[in-house]
Amino acid sequence: MQQTEVAAAPALRISGISKAYGPTRVLHDITFDIHRGRVHALVGENGAGKSTLVKVITGIVTEDAGAIEVNGRPAAFRTPTEARAGGVSAVYQDPKLLPHLDVAENIFVGNFPRTVFGTVNRKAMYAGARRVLQKLGVGLDPRSLVAALSVAELQFVEIARALSTDIQLLILDEPTSPLTPAEAEKLFGVVRALRAEGKSVLLITHRLEEVEAIADDITILRDGRHIATCAVRDLDRAGIVNLMVGRNIETMFARRDPVSPGPELLKVDRLGLAGAFADVSFSLRAGEIVGMAGLVGAGRSEIAQAIFGMTSPTAGRIVLKGREVTPEAPEQMLGLGVAYLPEDRDGQGLIMAETIAGNVTLPIASRLARFGLLDRRREHQIATEAIAAYRVRARGADQVVSTLSGGNRQKVAFARWLATSPTVLILDEPTHGVDVGSKAQIHQIIRDLAESGLAVLMISSDLPEILAMSDRILVVAEGRIVAEIEGRDATQEAIMRAATGSAEATHVLH
Amino acid sequence: MSSTNAAVGRARRSIADLALRLRLGGVVVFLLLLSAVFATLNPQFLTWQNLAVVASNASILAIVAAAQAVVLLTRNLDVSVGSIMGFAAYLSADYAAHHPTVGAELVIIAICLGAALGLINGLIVAYAKVSPLIATLGTMSLYRGFTYIYAHGQEVTSSKLPHWMLAAVDFRIFGLSTLVIVAIVVVAALGAFLRLFPLGRRIYAVGSNPVASVFYGLRTERVVLFAYVLAGALCGFAGLLYAARVGTVTVILATGWELSSLASAVLGGVSVAGGSGSVAGAALGAVVLSCIDNGLVLLHIPEFWRMFVQGAAIVLAVAVDVAIGAQIRRGLRRQRFGGRLA
Amino acid sequence: MSSTSQDRAFWRPSAWEAFLVVLVLAAGTWSSILSPYYLNIDQILESSRHFLIPGLLTLGLMIVVVTGEIDISLASTLAVGAVLFAKCSAHDVPIWLATPIVTVICGALGAFNGALVAWLGLPSLAVTLGTMGAYRGLAFIIGSEVGYTDFSDAYLYVGSEEAFGIIPIALIVFAILAIAVGVLMHRTIFGRRCFAIGNNREAAWIAGVNVRRTKIVAYAIAGALAGLAALLWIGQYGSARGDNADGLILLVVTAVVLAGVDINGGKGTTLGVVLALLLLGTLRNGLGLANVPGPTQTVVFGALLVLGVLRPVAMTAIRHARSLRWTRSDRERKPEPAKPVGT
Repeated sequence: MQQTEVAAAPALRISGISKAYGPTRVLHDITFDIHRGRVHALVGENGAGKSTLVKVITGIVTEDAGAIEVNGRPAAFRTPTEARAGGVSAVYQDPKLLPHLDVAENIFVGNFPRTVFGTVNRKAMYAGARRVLQKLGVGLDPRSLVAALSVAELQFVEIARALSTDIQLLILDEPTSPLTPAEAEKLFGVVRALRAEGKSVLLITHRLEEVEAIADDITILRDGRHIATCAVRDLDRAGIVNLMVGRNIETMFARRDPVSPGPELLKVDRLGLAGAFADVSFSLRAGEIVGMAGLVGAGRSEIAQAIFGMTSPTAGRIVLKGREVTPEAPEQMLGLGVAYLPEDRDGQGLIMAETIAGNVTLPIASRLARFGLLDRRREHQIATEAIAAYRVRARGADQVVSTLSGGNRQKVAFARWLATSPTVLILDEPTHGVDVGSKAQIHQIIRDLAESGLAVLMISSDLPEILAMSDRILVVAEGRIVAEIEGRDATQEAIMRAATGSAEATHVLH
Repeated sequence: MSSTNAAVGRARRSIADLALRLRLGGVVVFLLLLSAVFATLNPQFLTWQNLAVVASNASILAIVAAAQAVVLLTRNLDVSVGSIMGFAAYLSADYAAHHPTVGAELVIIAICLGAALGLINGLIVAYAKVSPLIATLGTMSLYRGFTYIYAHGQEVTSSKLPHWMLAAVDFRIFGLSTLVIVAIVVVAALGAFLRLFPLGRRIYAVGSNPVASVFYGLRTERVVLFAYVLAGALCGFAGLLYAARVGTVTVILATGWELSSLASAVLGGVSVAGGSGSVAGAALGAVVLSCIDNGLVLLHIPEFWRMFVQGAAIVLAVAVDVAIGAQIRRGLRRQRFGGRLA
Repeated sequence: MSSTSQDRAFWRPSAWEAFLVVLVLAAGTWSSILSPYYLNIDQILESSRHFLIPGLLTLGLMIVVVTGEIDISLASTLAVGAVLFAKCSAHDVPIWLATPIVTVICGALGAFNGALVAWLGLPSLAVTLGTMGAYRGLAFIIGSEVGYTDFSDAYLYVGSEEAFGIIPIALIVFAILAIAVGVLMHRTIFGRRCFAIGNNREAAWIAGVNVRRTKIVAYAIAGALAGLAALLWIGQYGSARGDNADGLILLVVTAVVLAGVDINGGKGTTLGVVLALLLLGTLRNGLGLANVPGPTQTVVFGALLVLGVLRPVAMTAIRHARSLRWTRSDRERKPEPAKPVGT
C-alpha cells in the first residue's frame, strides 16, 4: 500500500486489540492504522466486531489486550468524555440526546461556553452552534427543542456535537441510515471537508456504494478478526464481499435435502409498517424452513414482530391458514397458532428469575389449570419431558433459568413456544450466543419441527446456518425484500451481495 | 407520498415544540379560565383585596412548589418537604426563643437546617440509589420525629419569633403582603439559576435523559444531590416564613404540604418524568391551588372539595404530560429509513 | 442458589424471612422485658388488632407492587369504605348486604387506578398520589366533616368482637384473607402472571400474558381489600370519618418493604408480609406498653423503612466490592453469559 500523503504518525493506530466477554472472544488481535486526512471505511457482516471495536476506541469498553495510539501518543480512554478530549469523537446509530433541551445546549452539554460570571454564555453558544450547523449545511435553528426534531435532524445534531470540539478522528457508525440520499450527500460533503482539513474519518457502513464514493481506505473484519486493510481503489465490490464472507465453507452444517412442502399456512401480502419496512410479501408452507437474511437493522425483526402482533402494521394483510387476521397482541397470535422466539432471548424471551417449569408453561398455564389453580404437577411433568426431549443440561425442572448456559436457555425458550403447539414458528436469531454443540442440537430440533408439519421462518445473521437450514432464503435490505433465493442455489456471496446492494433492485434468483 | 409524510412530520414536530414551550402557557391559560369562572359565579372574587389574599396565601406554597420542581426536574421527588419545613421552623423558632436578639442570621440558620436534611435525602437517593418515594417517605417521618424529640414532646412552642420577623411578614405594600414579593424574588432567582448556570442546565439534562447524561460525563449523582440540598434549603426558608406568618410554631407545622407542593408543580407543567417544566410554572400552580381554595370559600363550598379537586387535577395534569410525551416519541420513532420508504 | 420467591410458596421461608422470624422473637422478648403485661395471651391476641387493618392494606399493596407498580391511595380508599358503611348503616342496610356493596365499590376505585396505570400508561406513583387526594376528598364529601358513630352492633361485630372470648374475629378474617392472598399469588395463574409481569413486563407480554388486564385486576383486589379493612376499622374505632386512616400508608409501605417484597416488582411472598406485619405489630405493641409516645413510634417506623430499603443496597455493595477484581469496566453493555448466581 503506497501512502501518497506525507503523514507523520497515523491519526489512529490500533495494535493487537483483543476483547472477550466471558468465554466468547469478540475481537482477536486487531491491528491496523488510520492515516491522517483519509476516510477509512470499516466493513464486516453482523457480529464481525465493528461496534465493539469502536466502543474500545472511544473508551466505553476496556480492551483485554492491545494498545491504541492517537497521533503517535498512547491513548487509554476510559470514558467517552476522555476520548473527546483526546480528539476522538463518535456518532452512534441511536442518538443519545437530551430531548427537553434545545439544539445548541445538546451540542455543548458538558462543555458550555462560560461568561465571566460563570453563567452559560448563551450568545456564544448559539453562535457556535450556528457555525457548526452551517458547516454541516443544515438549516436548523439552534434554539429549537430537540424533542421536536426528526430522526435525520437528530443525527445531524449528534454530528454537530462531535464536530464542536477539535477532533482528530471522527467515527461515524452507519450515519446514513436515517438520511435521505440528499441528506447523505450533505454529510459526505462534511466528510470531504474534514479530510481536506487533514482530519480523519472512520466510517462504519454496510453500503458498499458509499465506500466506493467516499472512502480512501478500507478495513474488513470477519468473526472478530482483521482480514485486510488496503486502499479502496485496490478492491472491487465483489472483492470486498468475498473478503467479508470468505471463509472455508465448513461442512459442519450439512445442507438440507430438498423437501416438498405442504399447504400454505401463512401468507403475508404487501405488509408495511411506516418507517420500518414496506411492501413485504411472502408465504410459508407446512414443512418449510424459510431463512430471512439481511444486515442488522434491515427490518427483519420488525417484520416478524408485526406478524406476531407486537406492533400494528400500517399496510398490507396477513392470511393465516386461509383466514385473514389483524394482529393486535401476542396473546391473540399465540392463540391462533403463531409463535415468535425473540432475538433478545434474555430480555424478551424468558423470565430470568423463574424456573424452567415456570418459563416453559407460562403461555399454556391457563390451559393446564383447574379453576384458576396452577397444576404444578402437570407443569413439572411437561417441563421434565421438555428437558429430556431437548437435552437441556439442567438439574431439574425447578432450576432457575438464569443459572443455565446460553444454549440451554435457548432450548428452554424453544420448549416454551412448542408447548403452545404452534403451526407457524418464527425464530429470530435462534442460535445467537449459543455454543457449537447446542447449535447443532437446536438445528436438529428445527428440522424435526419442520418435518412434523410446522412452517418455520428463521431470521439469522449466521450465513452458514442460513445456507444449511433453509429451503428458501429471503434477503431483506432497508425494509424491503430484495431477493428470494432457492436454498440449493444460494451462496454466501449471493446473499451478502443482495443484503448490501441498493434497495431498488428486487429480483428473484433461481 | 413521502412529501405528505414529511409535511405531517413537520406539523407534528411543531405541535410538540409548541406543547413543550407552552407548558408554562398552559397554566396561565388555566388560571385565567379559572378566575373567569369564579368571577362570574361571585364578583367578589375579582376585587383587589381578594386577589391580594389569594396571592399571599399562595406565596409560601409557591416557594415549596418551586423546591419540589427542582427535584422533579431530575426525575426524582421529595415527599419530606413538609417535615423539612417543620423541622427548620421549630428549631429556628426555638433558637430565637433562647437568643432574643438574633438578627437576620436566623434565616441562614433555617436555610442551613433545611439544606442538611436535603443532603441526607440526596445521599440516600443519589448514592444509595434508593427509590425516591420510599426514601423520602421514610425521611418524612424521620424528620418529623426528630422535631418531636427535639421539642421533648411539647406540642406548642411558647416562644415567639423576633418582632422584626413578624412585623416584616405583616407589612403590606399596596395591600400585597411582603411574602408575595419574597416569593417572586426567590422563584425568579431560582428560575434564572436553572436557566443561566451550567449546573442548572445539568439538572434538566439529568432528568431529560439520565443514561445520556452519564454518557456525557455529567456526574449525575452530584447533580441529584445538589437538587435535594437546594430543595431542602428552600423548604427550610419556607418553613421559617410560614412560622412567622402563623405566629406560633407547632410540631405538626406544614403536615400535608407534600401533596400540595406536588400538586402545584404538576399543575404548573413540571413533568414527573423529569427534564421538563419550570419553577415559574410550579409557582403558578400554587396560585391555581390558592385560587381554587379561595373560590370555593367564596362560593360557600365545603373545604373537602379542595382535596378532591387537587387530586383530580394531579391526575389530569399527569395524563396531559404523558400524552405530550407520547406524541413526541411517536414523531421520533418514524422515519428510520430516511424517506426511502413510502 | 436463588430461586423465585413465588415458587417457594407459602411455607418454605427464605433467608430474609428467617431473619424476620428472629426479629419478631427479639421484639417480643424485648417487649416482655419492657413490660410485665406483655406475656399475656389475652393481651397479645388483643394487640394483634394493631396490625390487622394495615395488614389488609399491605396484602393488597403487595399484589400491586409485585406487578411492578404502586398504589399509595389505599388508605384513602379505606376512608371511602368507612363512610360508605356509615351511609349504609344510616339507611338501615343489613351488614351482609352492605359489606359486598362497599367491597365492590372500593374495588372499583382500585380498578380505576389500575385503568389509569395500565390503559393510559400513566406513572403509578404520580397517579395514585392524585387519587390519594381525590379519594380522600371523596370520603369527606360523602361523609361530611362530622363523622358517623351511630353504628349498629351488627356493623361493629367483625371489627370488635371475639370468638370464644379471646380470639378477635378480625384476626380470623385477616388470617383467612392472608391465606387466600397467599394461594392467589403462589398457586394460581393470576399470581404467576403478576410475578412474570413484575420480573419482565415485555417478556410476559410476548409470552401471551394480558398485562393490562392483570394489572387492573391487581389494583381492584387491593381496593377491595381496603374496603374490607374499612369494615374492621369501623368495628375497632366505632366511627367513620373522612380523615380515617390518614397517613396509614406509611406503615403499609414500610411493611411491604420490610417483607422483602422488591419495590420494582417480581419478587415477594405472602409469608414475608405476614412476618413483617407481626414484627411491626409487636413493635407497636411493645412501644405502646412502654409508653413511648406516638410521634417517637413514627420515627422508629420511618427509620425501619429507610433501613429496610438500604438492606438490598448494602448487600449489593458487599457483593460488588467482592467481584470488583473480575471486570474492570462496569460500563460494558453486552449481556454476559450466565454465571451461577450466588447470594
